[in-house]
Amino acid sequence: MNDDAFSADLLRGHTDTIVLGMLRGGDRYGFEIYKTIRDATGGDHEIKEATLYATYRRLEKDGLVESYWGDETQGGRRKYYRITDAGRAVYRRNVAAWVATRRVIDTLLDAKD
Amino acid sequence: MNTDIHRLLDDAFAGVEMTPAAQDLKEEIRANIAAQVDELVAAGASAAEAAQRAIAELGDVRTLLDDEPAEAVRSLGWEALTARNRVRPKPGFVVRTVLLSLLATAALVGILLVVLLVHPAAPLAVAALGAVVAIALGIVTADALLQETTTNHPLPAARAIGFGLATGGTLLALGLGGGFALALDQLWLVSLAAVLLAGSLALFSYLGATQTNRHKAWTRGAITQMPPNRFETDPESAARFGIYTAVIWFLTLAAIVVLVFTVGWWWAPVAFVGGLAAMMLLLARMLFAPRSGDRR
Repeated sequence: MNDDAFSADLLRGHTDTIVLGMLRGGDRYGFEIYKTIRDATGGDHEIKEATLYATYRRLEKDGLVESYWGDETQGGRRKYYRITDAGRAVYRRNVAAWVATRRVIDTLLDAKD
Repeated sequence: MNTDIHRLLDDAFAGVEMTPAAQDLKEEIRANIAAQVDELVAAGASAAEAAQRAIAELGDVRTLLDDEPAEAVRSLGWEALTARNRVRPKPGFVVRTVLLSLLATAALVGILLVVLLVHPAAPLAVAALGAVVAIALGIVTADALLQETTTNHPLPAARAIGFGLATGGTLLALGLGGGFALALDQLWLVSLAAVLLAGSLALFSYLGATQTNRHKAWTRGAITQMPPNRFETDPESAARFGIYTAVIWFLTLAAIVVLVFTVGWWWAPVAFVGGLAAMMLLLARMLFAPRSGDRR
């Protein structure tokens, strides 16, 4: 249970970057993003939907994503998110920071694969 | 259609002030919940149960609507924010830009000399020098867009190269067109120029239509802190400026026509330079002069 909380915290700290990375491949709407994250983590420690809604709002306010409404007729219109050039730049910077940090932490924790 | 979703969503938003932002969020959640319910139903849950679970997982929607005030932006002015976020240009980029601009300028001077001094006309030399200008300035454009600046993120490499190609293509088309003007029998020059120009314009339109935000996050709040300029606070002077501008360029055009038909076409640039100078003086007087009301 304890390792679960630890890794869920780690994951949550990178929600913005994870969402940006997902949008790089194409525009998506909320539930699609949520599902992809849930499936990628094997459903063990998902990122809460509430966290994701807060993330979308923050990313949009900072100009890292744009949103638009889809043209579905059934079940309500979906709000799609599209990554901006600023979003791509921030994504690249965050991934570089993560790679550097991971190396440092691996060394400090003396972790071996 | 599962009507439970709408009822439960209304319950979840009960008591929330329906601002446009809240309405927006509600509609977004509605579509997402609908997709989630479809999935749960496909996995064997009943429709009512699925809707219950999906809404329950959402938690309290009020927490999603609390906007933290941008404290840093409000307490700092535009200048302080700019200084804090300042990104210095990379020395390599500055050196590259200066050298390539010098090369382009040298090639432009070369074109002028070839046109004025070489007889018979040398269209190929003009086209070749035009290509040098186009390649140099195309590289300068792409290079500049790839740089991180104080207010902008770098453009993705593919888009920056696209802008560089479109700029270079347009300039090369101009060079080839110039070569054709010197030798009107060289039809391939003008055909190639037309193809290049059409391609570059198409590329420009594509890039323009797919352009997204590249400003940094800090500029979005800080833009309100920018010192207002005169035209924003005093729309009437902006309107006057527009009318003066039209008058200056109309007179310049008239002067060019008169000069061309009296003393010769090579005097036309003199009128143009005069118009430009008048324009700059007008801008300095109207946009940056102290307001008359400021001093009593």
